[in-house]
Amino acid sequence: MSHSKPHLEDLNVVVLGQGGDGSLTVISILADVLRSAGLRAYTERNVLSRIKGGIVAATLRVSSRERLCTGSEVDLLLAFDALAVAKHVHRLSQHGIVIYDNSGGSLPADSGIADGTRVIGIPFSRHAIRNFRRDLYKNSISSAVIGRLIGLDDNDVRNSFEKRFARHGAQALEYNLEALAVGHELADQVGLTADQGLYRIVSADCGPQMLITGNEAVAFGFAVAGGRFFAGYPITPATEIMEWLVKWLPSFGGVVQQAEDELSAANMAIGAALTGTRAMVATSGPGLALMQEAIGQSGMAEIPLVLVDSQRAGPSTGMPTKPEQSDITLMAHGGQGDFPRVVLAPGTPAECFHLTVAACNLAERYQLPVFVALDQGLSQNLATIDLIEPGQVAVDRGKRLDAAALAQLDVYQRYAFSEDGVSAFAAPGTAGGMSLVTGNEHDQFGLVSTDPDNRRRMVQKRQQKIETMRPDLPQAVTHGNATAEVGFIGVGMTYGVILEAMDILAAGGVATQYHQLRTLWPMLEETAAFTQRCQHVFVVEYNATGQLARLIVAQGGEQAHICSILAYDGVPLRATSLAREIKDRLRLREDKVA
Amino acid sequence: MTRTFSPPRPIWCAGCGDFGVLEALISALSELGVPTHERMILAGIGCSGSLQNYLSCYGYHALHGRVLPTAIGAKLANPELTVVAVGGDGDGYAIGGGHLVHSFKRNPGVTYIVMNNGTYGLTKGQVSPTSAIGYQENTEEDLDPILLGLSIPGSTFLARGYSGQPAQLLRLMLAAIGHSTAGNGMAYLEVLSPCVTYNDTYRAWRASVYDIDNDKDYDPGDRAGVFERMIELRTQGRLPLGLIYQGDRPALETLSVSPDFAVPARQDLSDPRLQEDYRKAMQSFIR
Repeated sequence: MSHSKPHLEDLNVVVLGQGGDGSLTVISILADVLRSAGLRAYTERNVLSRIKGGIVAATLRVSSRERLCTGSEVDLLLAFDALAVAKHVHRLSQHGIVIYDNSGGSLPADSGIADGTRVIGIPFSRHAIRNFRRDLYKNSISSAVIGRLIGLDDNDVRNSFEKRFARHGAQALEYNLEALAVGHELADQVGLTADQGLYRIVSADCGPQMLITGNEAVAFGFAVAGGRFFAGYPITPATEIMEWLVKWLPSFGGVVQQAEDELSAANMAIGAALTGTRAMVATSGPGLALMQEAIGQSGMAEIPLVLVDSQRAGPSTGMPTKPEQSDITLMAHGGQGDFPRVVLAPGTPAECFHLTVAACNLAERYQLPVFVALDQGLSQNLATIDLIEPGQVAVDRGKRLDAAALAQLDVYQRYAFSEDGVSAFAAPGTAGGMSLVTGNEHDQFGLVSTDPDNRRRMVQKRQQKIETMRPDLPQAVTHGNATAEVGFIGVGMTYGVILEAMDILAAGGVATQYHQLRTLWPMLEETAAFTQRCQHVFVVEYNATGQLARLIVAQGGEQAHICSILAYDGVPLRATSLAREIKDRLRLREDKVA
Repeated sequence: MTRTFSPPRPIWCAGCGDFGVLEALISALSELGVPTHERMILAGIGCSGSLQNYLSCYGYHALHGRVLPTAIGAKLANPELTVVAVGGDGDGYAIGGGHLVHSFKRNPGVTYIVMNNGTYGLTKGQVSPTSAIGYQENTEEDLDPILLGLSIPGSTFLARGYSGQPAQLLRLMLAAIGHSTAGNGMAYLEVLSPCVTYNDTYRAWRASVYDIDNDKDYDPGDRAGVFERMIELRTQGRLPLGLIYQGDRPALETLSVSPDFAVPARQDLSDPRLQEDYRKAMQSFIR
């Protein structure tokens, strides 16, 4: 019988609960089991800015190939909160299944479930409280049921539990394993026996995979790049960067300091950087607004500083837990006065790691602020990625002078004019390298100067660094058909949804190419060239004013070819609706041309 | 010998109290034998913000109000440096006031010298947090940073000097730098440093200062007693000078910088032994 079952190729599971219920836990347990089984996993969280309460939706997508977005339809809906079903049931696929916690009664009649949909009621919460006196154990109980439904091997689930809960202590492990057993019994009772699963799980041979969020990948990348000082102030959705570093950085000899505000955090990082230590801050829009003065200081005083902006819906406090990409202008142009800076934009957790390493190297090599632009989705959604090889990371510390090198010089000037715009750095504590570092305009020694000739040369020296570093900046990655007339541009969490929309369009006969740019500032010529080559360039971004598109046009992009696809409602785009939108827009554009 | 910057002549007005602070700092650093390349002197914005230019050191001119966070970052990244932060009353008590509170709380191994002149000199005489009632029609009570420091349990060294009394100022400066470099945490030293141009307080301060170092019964280790005495003197219109409070608590950097590694600023980032630690972190993602 099992031979007639389909292989698991692509499955979307949504877990609905009240905030604090542990919906995210269920999803991450399942993601790990499926990762161990050789499949790819991606999770999405839709939470509110409160600790407890409100409806939380956690989505898991499992597929045999990399998909860094959730699917347009849901195959399996697990609801701890029966009232939440009505809000999400419209996404249920034709063969979708609803499992709900009926401890509090049956589903309301107006839940909107289509006739013929398979609905299973199981009193998870009642069993959790009866057996363990804690509602939270319903997560482990329900993981067992979902595992059965999908067709996972009971032992694989058990192994994952052992790994996950071992570090929480013997009792937690024991209880969770018991909860798993309870879940398997309940599954038996509703007819979900071990051989009744929907799928045959066949390893997709994705190789060993890590399960990681963008925030974790940034933090890990910073550590491996030799980052040894981090200062932060908690802010959604960037906080996990600090949390990971608090846990790990001391074990590499680094220091994490929580600050009283973002003004302090940015200046602490500057202080550490002044001593020649690789330093980073991570924040979101409101914090980045507070850091503006320090960013200008880093530019003017030529202090290496890496800043991570995990963008959330703005303006002002906005929607803290919802994604947006609306700080692009702030990163590229914020701050008083003219100064060079770099803005890098990863699209995947793996790129979060590698571009953070690049940011650390660029910052130190060119002595300026370097941004890593994330968004809530890329920051917080878990995904499987190929293993990262820390040994392959190269650390480039730029022009640094030790005491012996200084002794060879007649004169040392911290801001010496040079052809490439970069002046050698001597770390405090190095004999012979005494210097003055200042945000005032200064002469080559760092002494305050308003001399017009010196001023012109200093401005030019700083600007020269932008030209010098162009060859070192991460270039765009292109995906798809190299001769397609229809192009996509997007950064961050648009990566996965663009790639999937391209597959849908290709299946419908529309060839496309995706120019995934990775350096937003200074923008490389490749981007303008792409907009010139493609007749229709869809710039997909999460903001209301087309900040990325405007940046591209200002940097020589072909305005007549560019068409903005904008989302600013806090909801991630779905591939089917994006593909549909592209088809509609193409029809309109072609009508116009005709 | 490699030539570096030559300290220029100070830009301060003749008679400015900041000259006395500079003299005391130079003497203290040299008396303590701190080599010029191990001095990191960070200054805020204002007249006092150019002090680091006038002696041989690694100097940094911070953003307005941000000298303490910057100094904390520097000290945590390289605890081997002698880190001295300086600034004025506007820089430290107004725009940077929030950081002062948290610096007392953190107790980093930084000497923090505030040159208090009760005015904004560089912008030509506006009211500052320590201006007296009546100065430029000021109606607000002045902020007493010593009382502020006393109210925060993490503070370990609170002193006040007067640039008109150089011998005592040097003594306090030596004690302050000694405290912060010995792993005891933040040494806060306020110096009454008159602005001869916009708020010439030499005469008023000379009449009201009170040297608590000469007070035989005074115990700078008794926080409650110190508090009581400070309020008493304030009520009498007196300005206490001397070592006002000294407590015992480990410095921030002794708690947060790992003793198993070189200090962060001096680590060899290409040390192959790190690879094993990185791999351990990577394994944690294969959950």
